Amino acid sequence: MKYLDLAMNAASSLGAEYADIRIQKTTDQVIFLRNLSLKSAHTSVLDGYGIRVFKEGAWGFAHNNVFSDEAVLATVQKAFDIATLSASVNKKKKLRLAPERSYIATWKTPVRIDPFDVPLSEKVDLMMEVNRTMLAFDGIKQAVFYMIMHKDEKLFASTLGTRLDITHQFIDPMIIATAIHDGDSQSRTFDEGGRAVGWEWIQNLNLIDKAKQIAEEALIKVKSESLGPETRRTLILDPNHLGLTMHESVGHPTELDRVLGWEADFAGVSFATPEKLKNFRYGSEIVNFVGDNTLAEGLATHGFDDDGVPGQKWHIIKDGILNEYGSTRDTAMEIDLGYSRGCNRATYYYDQPINRIPNLYLLPGTQPLTPSELIADTEDGVYIQGRGSFSIDQHRVNFQFGGDFFWEIKNGKLIRPLKKVLYKSCNPEFWNSCDAICDERFWRPFGVVNCGKGQPSQTARMTHGSAPARFRNIRVGGSQ
Amino acid sequence: MKIQNIVKYIREHTDADDFICSIREDNSHETRFAQNGITQHISGPKLQISLQLSFGTKSGSCRVNQADEATLGFLIKTATDIACLAPEDPEHMASSGPAELPRVENCAPATMNLQPKDMVDIVQKSIDKAIAMDAMVSGMCEKHLVKSWLFTKNGFEGSNESSSFGHSMTLKKGEVETKVSYEAKDYAPFNLEEEFSRLSSQATALASMQDFDAQKIAVILRPEALQELIWYMSWMMNRRQSDEGFTAFTGQLGQQFMGEKFSLYSTLKQKSLSASPYSPEGLPSRETTWIENGLLKNMPANRYWAQKVGCNPLHIFNLYIPGGESTEEEMMKMVPRGLIINRFWYIRTVDMKAGELTGMTRDGVLYFEDGKVRHAVNNLRFNEIPHDMTRRILALGTEKLASPAMIVPTALIDSFNFVDKTSF
Repeated sequence: MKYLDLAMNAASSLGAEYADIRIQKTTDQVIFLRNLSLKSAHTSVLDGYGIRVFKEGAWGFAHNNVFSDEAVLATVQKAFDIATLSASVNKKKKLRLAPERSYIATWKTPVRIDPFDVPLSEKVDLMMEVNRTMLAFDGIKQAVFYMIMHKDEKLFASTLGTRLDITHQFIDPMIIATAIHDGDSQSRTFDEGGRAVGWEWIQNLNLIDKAKQIAEEALIKVKSESLGPETRRTLILDPNHLGLTMHESVGHPTELDRVLGWEADFAGVSFATPEKLKNFRYGSEIVNFVGDNTLAEGLATHGFDDDGVPGQKWHIIKDGILNEYGSTRDTAMEIDLGYSRGCNRATYYYDQPINRIPNLYLLPGTQPLTPSELIADTEDGVYIQGRGSFSIDQHRVNFQFGGDFFWEIKNGKLIRPLKKVLYKSCNPEFWNSCDAICDERFWRPFGVVNCGKGQPSQTARMTHGSAPARFRNIRVGGSQ
Repeated sequence: MKIQNIVKYIREHTDADDFICSIREDNSHETRFAQNGITQHISGPKLQISLQLSFGTKSGSCRVNQADEATLGFLIKTATDIACLAPEDPEHMASSGPAELPRVENCAPATMNLQPKDMVDIVQKSIDKAIAMDAMVSGMCEKHLVKSWLFTKNGFEGSNESSSFGHSMTLKKGEVETKVSYEAKDYAPFNLEEEFSRLSSQATALASMQDFDAQKIAVILRPEALQELIWYMSWMMNRRQSDEGFTAFTGQLGQQFMGEKFSLYSTLKQKSLSASPYSPEGLPSRETTWIENGLLKNMPANRYWAQKVGCNPLHIFNLYIPGGESTEEEMMKMVPRGLIINRFWYIRTVDMKAGELTGMTRDGVLYFEDGKVRHAVNNLRFNEIPHDMTRRILALGTEKLASPAMIVPTALIDSFNFVDKTSF
């Protein structure tokens, strides 16, 4: 597209030390069905471009939705002027950019059936059937189906000579059954998170069966008992629960911008400071976390980030030791890393990219171990599936998580369902208490599509994953 | 294309039985700084044109961000195609008709006239002040101008123009971290000297921290802290969710559900508060009493639910909690010991039916005893039920504009339920 060269030439002529342009068209389709009433069938198309100029150790970013030579040139000028203003403040604190080569590449999420090509009626028919299936259960008072289909089409050019053509897309289906019984109301959710795949995934999910299962489990949950007072117990956590736990307690603390204090005013900082690299015991020896923006079907697998840095795979925690961060071209140089791990991502065209969690997952155990064997080996504990309430402090140390479905374990058996279970722990205690992880046969991804961060707020996506894992001596109890 | 022309184009190019069109133009400038330098600096316009079309009770909607004829044609065709494929909606409502809207002044000239250079100067001065006290400051200086319009086929026409200015600062000096923030539609009252002086005072007060265990204890919630709890509570205060049995508000309408010292309104009378003149459904904003002296009088209800259950459709357009006369010094003498909370962080719902929330303190907690501040303490986690908490209000202080759409007082609350603590 001619605007790429126009913008980059203009930025260079003005004196930018570095500049890039990201022309981005974001298409969303959101369908929301509640109790057989279609609350929303909505398509959104946002198309525009953002231009970054780096000058004298400072950024300027300007965006526009008008596509014309005049508008592009005016936007370059605005980004340059803003960078100049920023530089006037940054005289004693100049940012630097990690070296990067140029790339000319095309990247596209592999999909067999593009969800945007599937007729709305086919989607709504499926969702209505799922809704009807849940409402057929006596006691289910609310049936919700919420589905997002998302596509980003990006053209990226930089003054390094990089030219990228990237199409990334994902689907995220979520089904919720809410039961009312004896003055209480409890929900059970089918939520495997988002996945960078086509409609074929939805076709293979057997959502009608899933709807029956969660309706039954919502009824079990609402009639179940609370756990009672908090005591130290063993936890076994399912991958679709652990996804959020690792997101909050490992993903965010190892974003380098937080480590540097760049999020101090809003999202917070990190306890995992640079002097801890290569020596801090974050978890037990079986805990290995990998950042992997090459992961198949991963929500952060884009080919390249919004710095024009290719997707990479690296250990963030290796054998329990803090190994490295997720970084961007500007944050990497603050700790003299010399290279970026390609974690700079923006949500929409009008967002300046920021340091984001990559696809981040816990490697499976190396010894054969099934979930059944793990439960059979546990005397007194709680097995948690699904996402619930989650809250963590701004240093990413102390946290409290709930879940979606709970079973009490006694003497190696699941003896009774529970509700309103919470556990409290902290870093590094929690990951050091991990004493068993099931093997790779039981590893499952979990895609987060709503990671809020930054000012102005942005929503990023990334895929986590794990096999079921066990944690000893955690404070577990019922809510208030 | 001008707004009137966009609406004219839509009216002329759709044969839908009904439509709702909303248009929003944003113009923002955002300067983000951290550790005494600027890390992000953003400027630009945004446009959103949203159209919901209905054929009978079948509806579809689309949003675009460009106003040329080709895009508007796409907007209409996409919404039409979705509507034609959508099932009949048993909860469909015809769009709102003409309505008399309140006159609200949401735009402040001082904010509109603020230039990027002025904002960078504010940032530079903030950094200079931090450097002068050998500290690091991080924050955000932002200005937003928003124009919005709502039109329906049935004749509703509304528009709103608003401004907002915000400047936040988090100071870190040694182990002390604390924050102040100004956020209002009007830049004119902003005084950096006063803001930084408050920040500096907070930092000084927090210098000597002692370990403190979680427990039930009296708290003085400053407006920034109280507003966050009340915002979550008001989100749960939904008429339909309540009528259907999903929240703690079920069966409480008309009851003394809150503490007698607690009232909650949406109001057009407080000039410092922003207030959209209408809701996204086209409901005119009007004086609304949600809770008066603890009595739950109204809950928000959309037009569908209101006609179903026979109540007035109501929406929250801002929140006003009247304060009292007590100063923090007086509050500290009303209880033997307690904590002063600057603000909370990462609040989440633990149990929707019970109305229980969790979250943590942030940016400074002070311990007081025998009427005096003794020392700072570590941050704490709470698990608390806000509506229940209002029954434990012992005193209210001066109310303050805590955000552009919320006026909140300081509150002294007994037996606040802290359940865990941090290491910092």
